[in-house]
Amino acid sequence: MTTSVISAAANSRTTASAQGSIELRQVRKTYGDVVAVDELDLVVEPGEFVTLLGPSGSGKTTTMMMVAGFEEHTSGSVLIDGKPVDALPPRDRNLGVVFQNYALFPHMTARENVEFALRMRKVPKAERRQRAETALDRVGLGTMGGRKPRQLSGGQQQRVALARALVFNPAALLLDEPMAALDKRLREHMQEEIKTLQKSLGISVLFVTHDQDEAMAMSDRIVVMKDGRIVQSGPPEEVYNHPLTDWVASFLGDTNLIPCTVLERKDGEALVDLGGLGIGRVRDRGVTGEKYAVSIRPEHLKFSSEASPDNCGPATLVSSTNLGATVRHRLTAGGHELQVRELSSDASGRPASGAELFVAWEPDKAQLLVLEQ
Amino acid sequence: MQTTNPRQRLLTLLSIPVFLFLVVPTAIVVPVALNDSRYITFPPEGISFAAVAGFFADKAWTSALTASLQSAAIAVVIGVLLGAMAAIGLHGRKFPGQQAVVGLILAPMIVPTVVLALAFYQFFISLGVLGSILPIGLAHAVIATPYVYLTTRASLAGLNPALVRSALSLGAGWLSVFRYVYLPVILPGLVSGALFAFSVSIDETVMSLFMQTPSATTLPVKMLTDIQFTLTPKIAVSSALLVTVATLGLLFQVMFVLKRRSTARMLPLAVSAPN
Repeated sequence: MTTSVISAAANSRTTASAQGSIELRQVRKTYGDVVAVDELDLVVEPGEFVTLLGPSGSGKTTTMMMVAGFEEHTSGSVLIDGKPVDALPPRDRNLGVVFQNYALFPHMTARENVEFALRMRKVPKAERRQRAETALDRVGLGTMGGRKPRQLSGGQQQRVALARALVFNPAALLLDEPMAALDKRLREHMQEEIKTLQKSLGISVLFVTHDQDEAMAMSDRIVVMKDGRIVQSGPPEEVYNHPLTDWVASFLGDTNLIPCTVLERKDGEALVDLGGLGIGRVRDRGVTGEKYAVSIRPEHLKFSSEASPDNCGPATLVSSTNLGATVRHRLTAGGHELQVRELSSDASGRPASGAELFVAWEPDKAQLLVLEQ
Repeated sequence: MQTTNPRQRLLTLLSIPVFLFLVVPTAIVVPVALNDSRYITFPPEGISFAAVAGFFADKAWTSALTASLQSAAIAVVIGVLLGAMAAIGLHGRKFPGQQAVVGLILAPMIVPTVVLALAFYQFFISLGVLGSILPIGLAHAVIATPYVYLTTRASLAGLNPALVRSALSLGAGWLSVFRYVYLPVILPGLVSGALFAFSVSIDETVMSLFMQTPSATTLPVKMLTDIQFTLTPKIAVSSALLVTVATLGLLFQVMFVLKRRSTARMLPLAVSAPN
């Protein structure tokens, strides 16, 4: 159960997938009157780890199933390696798929499961056995090949499913909430393993999850979906620190949403009136809407001993809760409820609740966004 | 049952006569068949295998046995094929009129056999194929199919639909999907379905009677016609034979099929004994 086993074994891989792009063009899927996915444009570059993140019903799994070929899209086009695959059945799309509950064949051993794709491709027995062994070694299960799935733990079943999906050198890997059934510790461990494996193989991955921590930890790019549409797409830090709407900001973790009036917008920066928190400078990505707010993550809001004219406002400390590694402070400022989070090691010597103080932020860590809700 | 309370003891006591009532009339044919007498009598006067030997020496009885086994073979093969295909085809699907389709498949279980018998009789007469065992086997297949459908459907309930998708994504065609995904799951259901089909056909009398010809007389029909004229112990022998076959089938089911959880939701074990 060590990451090093996998990374060491992964280096022995001989065939790298330099190819493996996935592209969706204006893909739309309807079930009767219900639009499940609408006007979806998405590109997974070769070797890229892209996560479809969204709540249930956002269309992320439907999108993946259309890429895999299990669902037919109503209109639009899906391309793998630049070629349209709309008319191809799943078996001819050459994609490795790991399902939510692994879907291992229960009556076959782990090795037979891994060999299955090679058997379907009429690979000679000796070669497919050897390749299956290599694939199992790669996921650290070299000695477990003779076991049936029910004799394996959840994490081991997950590895077998990975080995099975990778053994035939697919163009890309599709992962449908593969860690949903694992407990928290094992999940974090598997996240690292999968990420390490993906990097060393250089394989493109389309990953579906509703868990924002998982998406943050693993992705090169996060595509946030809501109601069948993409609401924001970008590297994890960007989506997290610079959400475009309040919905994205709240979906990706705790945040302080402060309604504001825009005074001036120029060169990616905006001057906003935050009411009781005064005037402040924040990042601006040019989104337009009826109502605006500023999102500042709790860890980006700092206490300040003295007032300054910009990016700073007076606040009253309401309560402080020690969460172990971090301390959560609740404050009120100009009629807004605010949350500040800091490391426990930085929190010593803070004033008790009821104290009057100032909170400050860096313009780069505060994001102007559209208030939808 | 170490800690039997009075209530449980009473239930046990009450169930013994019920058990005897159910089993004894069926089991009684065995001593009768081994009776050392020229007629069916009870209690047996002595143990002898003369009647058994006489049964197998009589061409009329052995050909009736062969006819029964042939029609059962036809019913099992066709019933298993149709029932299994229907169960797989309808598995995990929803479409308008689905309940009607299921009802149609199950109808032969509910429609009175005598109605079916008349219908089959007229149908096969008009085709001009009466006179061989084939029409009887086909008619038996029709009433056997719902049993196979039900047992197969019960085992399919334990199938993870993602298995089909995962096989497809790994490059399997429909034949491989059937072989590697469906077959291992439905095998217990197929075996119990086949046993049901066999016992339904072996036991079936009304349709076989309607469609009987001198060259196509099944064992139950032969028993029924003979018992009106003679009281030969060969009738008891054939009854004992059918009881033995049914019991063996039941044992097989208990040992190899019921052990698997996937058929735990199976039909009640309605393996019927000969009348």
